[in-house]
Amino acid sequence: MGAQKGIQRANEIYRDRSRRVLELKADGKEIIGYLCIYPVIEMITAAGMVPYRLFGDIREPKTKVEACLPTVVCPYLRSVMDIGLKERYNFLDGVVMAHSCEVAEKLAHIWKTYIDQKYAFFLDVPHTIHDAAREQFRDLINDFKLSLEKYTGSPITDEMIVDAINAHNQQRSLVKELYDLKKSDKPKISGVETVKVLMAIMSLPVEEGNELLEEVITEVKGREGGDNDDKKRLLLWGSIIDDTALFELIEDVGADVVIDDTCVGTRPFFPDVELTDDPLVGLANRYLVDIKCPRTFKEANFGEKKKDYMEDLESRFGYIKQLADDWNVDGIILHSLRYCDIHGYDIPGLKDYFESVGIRSIYIEPDYTEAALAPLRTRIEAFLETLD
Amino acid sequence: MAKEERKKVINRPKGMYPLRSRIEDVYKLTVKAMQAGKPTAWSMVNWWEGDSIIMAMGIEAVYPENYGAVCAAMGAAQSYLERSDAEGFPSHMCGYARNCIGYAAEMKDLGEIPPDAPLGGMPKPMLLMAAGTLCDTRYKWFQSLGRYLDAPVWTLEIPQPGVEEALQEGVHERNIKFMVKELKELVKFVESLVKKKMDWAKLEEIVTDILEMNRIWYETNELRKKRPCPMHSRDFWTCMTGCLYPAGDLKELIRLYQNLHDEVQKRVDENVGAVENEKYRLVFGELPPWHSLKIFDQLAERGWNFVIESWAYHPPKPLDLSGISDPLEKMARFTYQWLTGYYNDAYENKEWWGYFAYPYLEYAKEYQCDGALLHPLITCRTATNHLYLVQDRLMKKYKVPSLVVEGDIVDLKLFDPADTLRKAEAFEETMEHNRELRKKEGLEW
Ligand code: SF4
Ligand code: SF4
Repeated sequence: MGAQKGIQRANEIYRDRSRRVLELKADGKEIIGYLCIYPVIEMITAAGMVPYRLFGDIREPKTKVEACLPTVVCPYLRSVMDIGLKERYNFLDGVVMAHSCEVAEKLAHIWKTYIDQKYAFFLDVPHTIHDAAREQFRDLINDFKLSLEKYTGSPITDEMIVDAINAHNQQRSLVKELYDLKKSDKPKISGVETVKVLMAIMSLPVEEGNELLEEVITEVKGREGGDNDDKKRLLLWGSIIDDTALFELIEDVGADVVIDDTCVGTRPFFPDVELTDDPLVGLANRYLVDIKCPRTFKEANFGEKKKDYMEDLESRFGYIKQLADDWNVDGIILHSLRYCDIHGYDIPGLKDYFESVGIRSIYIEPDYTEAALAPLRTRIEAFLETLD
Repeated sequence: MAKEERKKVINRPKGMYPLRSRIEDVYKLTVKAMQAGKPTAWSMVNWWEGDSIIMAMGIEAVYPENYGAVCAAMGAAQSYLERSDAEGFPSHMCGYARNCIGYAAEMKDLGEIPPDAPLGGMPKPMLLMAAGTLCDTRYKWFQSLGRYLDAPVWTLEIPQPGVEEALQEGVHERNIKFMVKELKELVKFVESLVKKKMDWAKLEEIVTDILEMNRIWYETNELRKKRPCPMHSRDFWTCMTGCLYPAGDLKELIRLYQNLHDEVQKRVDENVGAVENEKYRLVFGELPPWHSLKIFDQLAERGWNFVIESWAYHPPKPLDLSGISDPLEKMARFTYQWLTGYYNDAYENKEWWGYFAYPYLEYAKEYQCDGALLHPLITCRTATNHLYLVQDRLMKKYKVPSLVVEGDIVDLKLFDPADTLRKAEAFEETMEHNRELRKKEGLEW
């Protein structure tokens, strides 16, 4: 994979995600697949293995999954399972899945039933951020650590965990630097390119991902500046989008996603892990409290006796407004995959909230197929017109 | 008139009727309680741990999940569903949730219980007690009710470990401790809400009653292993409500469950089945089409007896709690047992989905089922996503075939009874065929 650098290399890995890990595997590295953003990847890195994010494939017809997951569940998860059943994830030595959402939790058990891998761990994640829940999550991360130690036969020391946290935190600050390049009127890197880079680094060991990010940032900084000055600047919120198709469509109709709150975009990268005396405490706080995914139950004031609706919305969604302000967006696309409960229930509240702060938004609900995107074109075009 | 009346094909126990009429009474009581200024809550099925606390604090609870079933059964759900859609909630979501959201939206508009609400409606709550267990919808739904209600939400925690992970050293006891801590927090919260202290003796009494009620109900369902099976799933669904949604006078409930138990026991002793000529014994997978329960009578005419059903609504396997004095810990252990009671067996059988899916394997064997009728719900992922796995495991392990019929719990447009009956007829051949295969394999039934 030598000669390619920066964006070109990211594109290459985006197109052929497993290529690099297969080389590493040939050199004796173990590769652990992980689903969604709740498996604590620092632990995989600390155990000397490569965390490799499991994605689906919107371009691939789901032909095998019918036998074990019904159509009424998250189509992304069905796609991941379909690919697994087609043995395209057979290069993985193991997987870790988490209770990120209900169906993901169930998928962990189905995966383990049908796909024989050397290692499988399911990480439960509490639903609330109560003190007891944080402590519980710290202990659950410790269970994960113990199970990795049992699998590898070697202890994972606090030092190893701290090193892994530092490496991943470095990755997070590089990703933030990359997003910063999208703040200007002429963003130097597009939404499409950003997704490719992020999906590429989630397919590499953290250090290689960091190298790639540094190359990308240098390359992008050296660019003249995009042709985006008359494009509408959008924020994209919602459930997983692990393909460039939607971003391409948006670019095609004269807009660009300059910032997002999705679980391939900023969500897994923006919050850092704080280094605490017991590193597992910092990890628990980061994953349970700091990651802003609607799967965790949050409220304005813990133990409030009367709910103030607007205050509640502000506390839950205020950070999105902050992103919208910092990246100077013209409008917001709310995206919830068909059958995604945890994102779907937030839609009316999000609409109320953005209306109250004067930002226009549109809701889309694609079903994780390329075909479903086509009809969105006119809707998004019409939405852009309202932003003038 | 009497002449024309057809003989009921499902022989329903008399003890079911008073349990059924209690549902109605409980709604009326809660409305009255609200009118009398008593605190009320909307609660989700939380497998007893939260219920016991709010009951002990004198809060009257109604259960919007159950109310969804009531509205569906009484044909009142459609307008609430449509209202929820109009409010901007995606229409593929849980029928119970959409029913409740539509209801809450109307109640907000009117400033009072909608006049046409079934059973007197659900009164405005001072607390929304959500649970994260099993289903994302459940806490997201209560969170989103903030649009219409100013009641605070408390989300209960019940750990949901995997089979292998649950058996890691120390995990069981740690999970219990976590649950107890959470329950203590809930007690504090409710104390501050209703401005009075927990009456621990009362809580102890309620917990004891809940355990006793579950014990009787568990044993009643054990009796259904008998051939012919003395009680049909229809009666299970009618009667589960009292146990799953405890409210009102628990002592009275215990008495009603005991009467039902005794009646079912008598049927066992006298070889009386719930269906006259029990030809096929079936397990039902997940929630039934509440609006089309007649289908079970039609199937009973063909000799189909439904002898057992979905795990989630059943009491936990028996557990000795005599050494535990703290009522919160008792409750936590009991609820945790409900979720993980099958895990040891599942582990031994290398079945990795230890709740929801694995219990069907035990049911099929112990209740000697010829087939499964699985009902994937178009708007409920939780009750659906294990069913294909169940179908596969039942067949592979015990040669028990499944008939899968899609439908919904609330939206009656989504279930096709005529088509189901057609498929059922053809399915009988499959059951016969597999009966032969089981014999060949030396399985007991
Ligand atoms: S898109 Fe929604 S349902 Fe699917 S994995 Fe993400 S959170 Fe879960
Ligand atoms: S389990 Fe199903 S029916 Fe119950 S609340 Fe969840 S989605 Fe609704």
